[in-house]
This record gives sequence, structure tokens and C-alpha cells, in this order.
Amino acid sequence: MTTHSPDADDPIVVEGLAKTYQVTDREGGFGAAVRSFVKRKYKDVKAVQNVSFRIGQGEIVGFLGPNGAGKTTTLKMLSGLLHPTGGKAIVLGHTPWNREAGFLSAMTLVMGQRNRLSWDIPAADSFLLNQAIYRISDADYKSVFGELNELLDLKDIMRKPVRQLSLGERMKCELAAALLHRPKVLFLDEPTIGLDVGAQVRIRAFLKEYNRRSGATILLTSHYMADVTALCERIIIIHHGQLKYDGGLGDLSRRIAPYKIIGVAVENCEACDLSAYGQAVPNPNEDGKQYIQVAASEVSAVTARLLAENEIQDLTITDPPIEDIIERAFHE
Amino acid sequence: MNTFRVFRAFFQANLQQDLAYRADTVVNIIVSLFWLGWDLAGLSIIFANTQDINGWRTGDLIMLLGVFRLINVLAQMVIWPNTELFNRGIREGTLDYTFLMPANSQALVSIRRIVVWQAFNIIVSIALLAGGLVMVGGSVTVLSMLSFVVLVISGMVLIYSLWIVLISLTFWFTKFDNNVTLLQALLDTGRFPATVYPIWLRILVTFIVPIAVATTVPLQALRGELELWQILAYLAAGVAGFWFATRVWKVGSRKYSGASA
Amino acid sequence: MLNIFKRFWQVNWAEQWQYRANLFMYLAYWLVSPIVYLSVWTTIANAQGGVNGMSASDFAAYYLVLLPVDIATAAITIHLFASKIQDGTLSNFLVQPVHPVLVNTLVTTISFKVLQLIIFVPIWIGLFLLFRPPLTITFESALLAIPALILGFMLNFLVDSTITLIAFWTTRVWSIHQLYWAIGAMLGGSFVPLSLLPGVIQSVARFSPMQLWLYFPIQLILNKQTPADMALNFGLQVFWLVIMFVIFRATWTAGLKKYSAVGA
Repeated sequence: MTTHSPDADDPIVVEGLAKTYQVTDREGGFGAAVRSFVKRKYKDVKAVQNVSFRIGQGEIVGFLGPNGAGKTTTLKMLSGLLHPTGGKAIVLGHTPWNREAGFLSAMTLVMGQRNRLSWDIPAADSFLLNQAIYRISDADYKSVFGELNELLDLKDIMRKPVRQLSLGERMKCELAAALLHRPKVLFLDEPTIGLDVGAQVRIRAFLKEYNRRSGATILLTSHYMADVTALCERIIIIHHGQLKYDGGLGDLSRRIAPYKIIGVAVENCEACDLSAYGQAVPNPNEDGKQYIQVAASEVSAVTARLLAENEIQDLTITDPPIEDIIERAFHE
Repeated sequence: MNTFRVFRAFFQANLQQDLAYRADTVVNIIVSLFWLGWDLAGLSIIFANTQDINGWRTGDLIMLLGVFRLINVLAQMVIWPNTELFNRGIREGTLDYTFLMPANSQALVSIRRIVVWQAFNIIVSIALLAGGLVMVGGSVTVLSMLSFVVLVISGMVLIYSLWIVLISLTFWFTKFDNNVTLLQALLDTGRFPATVYPIWLRILVTFIVPIAVATTVPLQALRGELELWQILAYLAAGVAGFWFATRVWKVGSRKYSGASA
Repeated sequence: MLNIFKRFWQVNWAEQWQYRANLFMYLAYWLVSPIVYLSVWTTIANAQGGVNGMSASDFAAYYLVLLPVDIATAAITIHLFASKIQDGTLSNFLVQPVHPVLVNTLVTTISFKVLQLIIFVPIWIGLFLLFRPPLTITFESALLAIPALILGFMLNFLVDSTITLIAFWTTRVWSIHQLYWAIGAMLGGSFVPLSLLPGVIQSVARFSPMQLWLYFPIQLILNKQTPADMALNFGLQVFWLVIMFVIFRATWTAGLKKYSAVGA
């Protein structure tokens, strides 16, 4: 496992973080409702268990896991909304859940499914409100806004009441409002959820460029693997509240999926039997080639055999798709 | 029969919901007992300073309180919670599902949510009516009693009909989520006999938002202050109101499903 | 700090201006109950020539002054804030470095109030022409009413907010707030001028915080407070304000701890 090498200045340090909820336990049905009226049963749900990682200045880290894995709980602890039941976290030198003004002014949390902008007024007014809340001087505001406007093209959309904006436009404004105070750490929970592909691409490009320019540290969750592959060199995977993987995206394929995909186009044979070389896999590109899955250690031997025994027009060797790998990692 | 089965299913689902929030149910009943004490305290403060209000004595006002609370049960048990659901349904488009169900849509939107514990207040209301009747004493005939009961029912039907008309207006003016605010605000006028109010308010609560028709009028019948033709006229108003509301709902909902299709 | 208030003000104003039609509807709430009790008491006073020294026109004056005082000192934190705790939108405000109640909710309340008062002026004039009560207002009484209204509003705001914070612990804070509202309406003078309350309740009411944002300012405006009463009531306002501030802060801290343990 390759992790980020520890540094005293790391903006995010998490050690043994844990969160256990108590929830009422009740079965469906009328009888159960009556019983539960009289006596309640509780059970513990371990949302996050003993999670540790460090994130260095300027990194963009993808925080992945299936639904209910504990991603949002962790993000909420790191942004100070939740008290953990165990372990510690230091973000920018502060313990998040003490909610010191210095901490709140230096980070931001964007939740794709939740609106922070006032619904009934133009985003521009909310920006000005944030300027006051975060005590941003007029000069700073002007320069930050100029930058954000250049990247997000806000001028036209920020004059309309937020409820009239499309989902993509709204997310642009949400991001701008969240970044006006130049936070050093960004927690992004599903920032592209529900957006169309074009808007997703624009938001990704923005985040990448923003990170390059500002050097801000970004921890993001997403269901869209394209977000992850476009933005993150490093990913952290949790499942059932436990840390499963922390390291490079490329290393993950080598570790989880020690196999490659070989695509071949064989002369005069569009569907010939290649099972002697490896297990057939569906064609991801619809390019007339046939694809087989081969263990990484055998790639050169199999390739050699393929070339020797068939009339090969074209041959490619690729990694398996990242979605599959991450899917496997969840369930390992 | 189908409507009855739907009603029973909704009632059970709602009962379960109320049971799930046990603290709420207990608190709600305590709160409503508190309100009873509060209402009676209010009356006792008034009657510490006077013998009667326009000829209405303590017993009369306790009976009026009973009828007023019955109207409140109708409001709190069915009207307010279903208005909230209806308005949300319009806003979020989930009302469409209601029209997909093979049952009377007006009945469905009327009873989707039933605040079951409010049934407790029906008992309280009957106790108030009985207590007030004893205080007033004598002078009640079978006929006046009968006309009282019939007029209470017809008054409640009238309030319900007004509500259906008000929420139906939302089909035409989609941004009308204040549809019941006026009804809510004016409901409190039912605590006292409408005869104490200035003439403009009396007209408002008799002809436009007929709260007085459901509260003051039945008691006037019980006190023998109404002629037979007046009783029949109020009854006719109840029937006509219900017929009118059903028509408005039909036309409005047809317009709604036409627009969203 | 002033700047934050100013910006919140602008945003709230812009937001609420869009819903000014709704405001007319909500004003109906404020109007109905005083008019009901005004009618009841004037009916009684007219029938027996006065109630406990108050004539029909005294009642009219009392309730017509009550209306603007009620609007000026009303607190609506329960409507603005309870749902934020319950549905978790409070989180949006907690990640910002300003107090969600003492800044955000306070400014929203004030801008709502100002808008309401503006719309209320013509309605009040109409009611005045309908009832024509003898108003015994003087320049001094009006001037003295200003600090009484401001202190009264702050006190009411803190009490209402503290009760709203109970939402951190129980899902339906509304019932509890209703109880409080009912007691407050009785002890504050919403329904009956305090002088008509029976002995024991009247003494409780005199020292309760509720009358400090309703009965006291009304009597002050109507010029019916002796200097001794006035001193006592202003003193009580400050006293309760300090106590409520301490209680509010403690409740807020405890509530946040609870909120961040459970999450939303």
C-alpha cells in the first residue's frame, strides 16, 4: 500500500477515527408498531471504524465506497459537523468538531445534494452575504471573484434567482459561493451528482484548474468514476466503515486486478475461438476486435503465442476498466 | 365499499405512524388536555367579570366551545395535514400518483393523512356539550336537539366543502400555497357567538368563510332562536356547498391532469 | 459585525419582498384574535357600562395598541429555525463562522417584522376609523416605549429561541412551543388586560417575562404606567434578559453537542 509520506504540515491527519450511531430497531407491521410504542429496542451501527490517513498539501484524493460505506459520515466529521465516538482528526491544525472560527474560515464543504444558496434570490446576493460572513475585504473579493468568474463564467447566471438556474449552473454558483473565502481544504460530497455529462466535464475541469492555481487540498466523494480518474491520483476506499485501500489509482489495478485485457483482430475471423489463450470478455469499444482477459504474468507468453498461431492484424494490451477494479476492491 | 376499504387502509397506516412517535402522541394528548383547561380558564376569566355575553351564559359558551372543538378536530385531524400533503404534491408533482389510483381522487386527497389521536378530542367535545347542556338546564326539546345535531353535521360538511374549493383553486393558480391561511386564521372566531362581532366580521364568518354557520348557528337552533325555514336554509346550504365543491374539484382536477399529461 | 448584519438584511429583504402577498395572509393571524377579544369585551362593557373600571373604548384602545406592539416584539424563531434542526439544513449554517441564531435568524426576524409593519399601517388606520378609540398617547410615552419595545423584543427572541432549541432533543418541539405560547398569551395580556385576571394569576403575570413584551409596552404607550411601575418593569426586562441570555447560551452549547453526536 503506498500512502502519502507523513509531513508535519499535512492539512488533513486522521487517526483511528470511529463513529457509532444508535438507531431504533423496529420491524415492519402493525404489531411491531404497537410493541415498539411500549418498549424500544436500540442497536449500534458502526458507520466508521478505525479509519486513519493523511493527506498532503495540494493533493486531490478520491474518497470511494459503496452507498452507506461511511463516506459522508467521515466528511462530516472532518468538516466539524459530527463528533466522532473515537479517534482523532486534525484539519489545518484544528480539531474540526471544536468549530473554531479559524477552522471554519479556512475550509469549505460542498454537498451536491444540498443547497446552500438562497433559493429565491440571485446567487450574486448570496456571494455578497458570504463576503460579509467570511470577512473578505473588497479588494480580495474582487480578485477572487474575478478568478472564479474566469473559470466558471458566472456573470450571466448569477443575476437570476437560483431557482431558475439549471442544475449545472446552480452547482457552478454553489462552488463559487463555497470558494470565495479561498479555503485551503475542500470537502466535496458528490459535487457532480445529477449533472449531465457536459456539466460534469466542466465542473471537473474547474476543480482541476482551481487546485492547480490555489494549491488547495481536496477530498471528494463521487459515484462517477470519471470524476475520480480525471481528478485523483490517489484514492481511499472504505467499505462497511473500514479503510480498504489507500494509494495510487494505478497501483490499485496492479494489486486488485493482476490481469490485462488483450484485444486482437484476426484475419478472416470475427468470432473465432480464442479460449485457448484466455477468458473472453465483452468488447468495450465495438471496434470489431475480440477481447480476452489474461493474467499479468502471462501477458508476454500469450501474446507471443497469439502472434505465432494466428494471422493478427491488430493487437492491443490494456488495463481493465477502473470501474471494474474499484467494484472489486469494494468487495474484497 | 371501495372508498371505505381505502379509508380503513389509510387509517391503519396513520395509526401506525402515530404509534411510532409515541412521545408525540402522549405529549399531544397532554397538550390537548392543557388546551381544554386553557379554554375553560379563558371562559372563567370572562365570566368572573360578567353574567352573560349578549344573553349567552357560561353553559351556552361551554357548549359552543364543544362545537368549536369539534370543528377543530375536523381541521386538525384531516384538513390541515392533508392540505400540507396536497400542496407538497402540487409543488413536487407527486399529486400525479393520486390521480393514477383507481379510487375517487377527492376522497383520496381528503384522507391521505389522518391524525388519529385527535379522535380523543371528539370525546372531550361531547363531554363539553353534555356539561354545558346540564348547566343551561331544561328547555331542550327533542326537535331542537335533533336540529342541533343535523346543523353541526351540515356545518362541518360546509367547512369541508369550502376547503375542497380552496385547494381546488390551486389547480388554476399553481403558486397558491396559502390556500387555507384565511380559514386557519378565522377559525378562532368560532369560540364566541357571532352576534358579538362587528357587522363586517359577522358577514365574513357567515357567508364567506362560514365558521359561524358551523358553530353559532347549531347552538342558536338548540336555544330555540331559529325558525324552521332558517334551519332548512342552513341545511340546504350544506348540501349545496358539498355539491358545488365536488363540481369544482372535478373541473379543477381535469384541468390539472390535462396540463401535466 | 455590522457589515454582516447589513448583508443579511439585504438578502432577507430581497427574499421576503418576493413573498409580500403571503404577508397579507399571515397578517390575518395577527389580526383575528385581538379583534375577537376586542369584540367580546366591548360587548360586555357596553352591556354593563364597564368592566373593572375599563370602558368599551378603553378596550378598543388596548387592543388597537396591542396589534402593532405584538408585531414589533414578536419572535418567530420556532418557524424559522426548528425545521433547520430537524431536517439537517442547520449543517449548512454550522460550517459558516457566524452564529445561526443570534445573527442569521435574528436579522431574518427583524426584516420580516419591518415589512409586516409597513403593510400593517394602512390596515391599522382602517381599524382605527372603525373603532375610533380614545388614544391617550403622549410624546413622552411614545419615546419611552422605544427602549421598552426593543428590550421586549430581545427578551422574547431569546425565550422563543431557547424553546426552539429543544428541537435538538425531541422531534416535535412544536407541541412544547404551543404550551409556552398558550401560557404566554394568557400571562402576557394577549387576550385580557392583566388587570382583569384573577388575583393569584395576576401576580404571577406581573413578574413573568411574557408581559414585558406585550402588556408593559401597551400600558406604557397608553400612558398608564406610574413611574414606579415603569422602573420595576424596565428593571425586570434587563433582569430577565441577562438570565435568558445565559440559559440560551447553555442550551445552544448542549444542543450542538447533541446534534454533532447524532448528525443529520
